[in-house]
Amino acid sequence: MPEYLLEVNNISKSFHGLAGAKQLILEEINFKIKSISKDGNIISILSPTNSSKTELLKIISAVEKPSGGEIILLGKKFEKPTGEIVLIPEKPSSFPWMNVKQNIEFALGLNNKDQVKQEKINEIISLVGLSGYEEHFPNDKSLGFRFRISFARALVVNPKIILIDEPLKNIHGETKKEIITLICSLTKQLNLTILISTANVNEAISISNKIILMNSHPGKTIGEFEIDKTQNLQEHTDYFISVKHSIEKSFK
Amino acid sequence: MRLKKNPVKNLHKLLILYFFLWIILFEFILPVNNILPKPSVVLLSFSALWNDYKLPVNFLSTVGAIYISLALAYIIVWSIKIYLIKSNHFISDFLLSLHWFSNFIPWIILGIFLIYWLPSSEYIKYIFVFLISFFFIIVHLKQELRNVKKEYIESAISLGADEKTISKKIIWKSIQPQLFNHLITLHFQLWSLAIIFEFISGGYGLGNIYRRALEYKDISAIFTITIITGITIFLGSQLIKYLKNKFYHWSFV
Repeated sequence: MPEYLLEVNNISKSFHGLAGAKQLILEEINFKIKSISKDGNIISILSPTNSSKTELLKIISAVEKPSGGEIILLGKKFEKPTGEIVLIPEKPSSFPWMNVKQNIEFALGLNNKDQVKQEKINEIISLVGLSGYEEHFPNDKSLGFRFRISFARALVVNPKIILIDEPLKNIHGETKKEIITLICSLTKQLNLTILISTANVNEAISISNKIILMNSHPGKTIGEFEIDKTQNLQEHTDYFISVKHSIEKSFK
Repeated sequence: MRLKKNPVKNLHKLLILYFFLWIILFEFILPVNNILPKPSVVLLSFSALWNDYKLPVNFLSTVGAIYISLALAYIIVWSIKIYLIKSNHFISDFLLSLHWFSNFIPWIILGIFLIYWLPSSEYIKYIFVFLISFFFIIVHLKQELRNVKKEYIESAISLGADEKTISKKIIWKSIQPQLFNHLITLHFQLWSLAIIFEFISGGYGLGNIYRRALEYKDISAIFTITIITGITIFLGSQLIKYLKNKFYHWSFV
């Protein structure tokens, strides 16, 4: 097994602006994620808002092509979306014309896993806490409910990495706590590798094993922080504050 | 004054009010006038419409031309949806430019050309309604493609969906509620165009009844056929709404 699950090597992205001038939005993005055998791994990409985190996640998942650089998944170049790296966009992406079960079946259908379909779907539905809601449609449900569907749809294809674009951005209160617990507990239980983008330092420290710092205009990786999960990660503890200060210092 | 969210109940009440006003005004107060017929005369005109104006044949001819052509146009668009969704900008630009031109050249002109080219064909009306339906469904489809939420497409791509699956299961499905809203509006336009077409061509259809009733200065026939047309258009729009709510019930939030 290769040492690194994911290698992001010198990724850049530019496009032509309205005036025709070339605009660089991502430059020299470099980081590596180790293959971890147990308890899973949550990595956060932390950067200010509007720093093209979404664009970076699209490139890592091969939804978009980079202008330069390469993505290596388990030692091989990853250029075409295959379900091995699944992207959960920031805005709700559960299909409103499909019920919970159909949304998950859609993903399984794409990956020719019909034999194990029913058992797998029921298992995933139960894991994300949607048991009893199989026939419900997502269009009149909360953001938390729709996130669970998108998460279940990602889990069902057994991806190597799940990319979640700002999962907590528009979620508040109890639902936010529930989503954090869901992501953290399933990461551990299913030994997942999850890459989250966020602009919130506190959230990044609380949930991640590792934080990758990215500058803005253009987005550029500027450092990495390993979080010691054995420490008390409650806000206002000494360890939390010291990590937070170090991160904030890196951005200055 | 603000309109209530659901004005249907009020509309029903208003319709009943208008109906009673018409009875009181034109049956008892102004029985002889050149504006609207007496309600009792309208009742009697049903038999004349049935026998003299051949209402069943003409009614079925118009209804058939509109709904069969509309359904056929939708089915054809449905069957070539993947091609239409994937089709390049040239086709989109061509259709949208034609749509823009149609603001200045009324669609009935196409009907006049068709009558000129094939004066004796009874099917020409079907072709006319079909062409308009087909064109507008494609134009609306192309317009709605711009509004498809990219997060649906991006999540499907990352799951490994191919272009065909995305076109069929994501993009086509995603635009259906709005496309059906356009169908309801299109269906209203088709009624006007079909009646004008029949009026001009003189073939079978409700337009032909209007033409003959106008020639005979038969105001009660005109009035009665208008009520029948109105009820049919209302029922037609309810049918399309029913189909939309049954099959494409979702909304985007």
